[in-house]
Amino acid sequence: MMMRDGIQLGCSVSLAALLLAGCAGQRETYAVLPDAKGQVGSLTVTPKEGAPLKLSGAYASAVGKPGAIEAAKLSEEEIKAAFAAALSARPDAPVRFTLYFKEGSDELTPESFKDLEKVLAEIRKRPAPDLIIVGHTDRVGLLSDNDRLALKRAEKMRSEMLRQGLPADSVQAAGRGEREPLVATADEVAEARNRRVEMLVR
Amino acid sequence: MEAGLKTNSAMMVPLLVGVLALSVVADASAQASPWVGQIKVSRGIVVLERGGQKFPAPVGVRLKENDVILTEANGSVGLMFNDNSVLSMGPNGEVLLERYAYDSTTYLGAFDAFVKRGAVSIEAGNLANASPESVRVKTPLAEIRGQARNFAVNVEGN
Repeated sequence: MMMRDGIQLGCSVSLAALLLAGCAGQRETYAVLPDAKGQVGSLTVTPKEGAPLKLSGAYASAVGKPGAIEAAKLSEEEIKAAFAAALSARPDAPVRFTLYFKEGSDELTPESFKDLEKVLAEIRKRPAPDLIIVGHTDRVGLLSDNDRLALKRAEKMRSEMLRQGLPADSVQAAGRGEREPLVATADEVAEARNRRVEMLVR
Repeated sequence: MEAGLKTNSAMMVPLLVGVLALSVVADASAQASPWVGQIKVSRGIVVLERGGQKFPAPVGVRLKENDVILTEANGSVGLMFNDNSVLSMGPNGEVLLERYAYDSTTYLGAFDAFVKRGAVSIEAGNLANASPESVRVKTPLAEIRGQARNFAVNVEGN
């Protein structure tokens, strides 16, 4: 903190002298992190002045100062340490549940009715939970009927969640009809695995 | 036919009383979702600046475009957006949610965050599924975007 204050003070005192070069205390760090699946992409850092720099690979990093951005050789440990507080404040990843329905109905199958308890357990773990519920059908029947049924399934689950005490503005329900089958089938094929809602607990 | 409905009278006992108490934190003026995200983690002193006014920003607070989130020396914060993108920030940070647009059907949209100071980590959500470069971070010196869904930016000396 002392050093930071020193830099800021120096920055304002010599502001006029530094107007062209920018403030000497300014320093930025950019780093690529592996994602949850271990996949890594590249990142392009485009400075306000100068050429863009591409960072490829996990923990590739660069340091920016006024007028220049350069590749850095920070280790994985150094990067994790620099971002420790930010990384530890990441919200828990959303968890997805799939619940199944009886054919042509907004009534859960007995197995899925039991699974509802798992959804509630996940919700209870979170300090500020919100839910996204999307209803689906199989491909038997008219598209428009299935749109209605899919939405009805989602809204049924939404009502259930509100009854459990979740606030109305924390639960969204939408229907996707037969457009997004879990298992691809020809039209008019009855497929139990497609008669479902997906509930994303966030 | 899949369609043709019966209603079952659901028979579950309310179990989420604790959640109900916490939900009081949520903003009272809930309209047709102007919200782009929500504070899911809030530690130490975290402040929300909206329309020139400052508010405390505990867990549960909803976020809008143009909100500014600030953390004090003991603060850190974790935000989750409608597309499941996540932004988290350590102490002495300031970030402006400059632009957020998201179509939950097509996953199309854009997310621009301006990091004025502090250490920030980003994990892009559904927006990046539709277009990998739709999640972008700006800083005083640069603009950062790419295929990487998970990245971090630290801004010092401002």
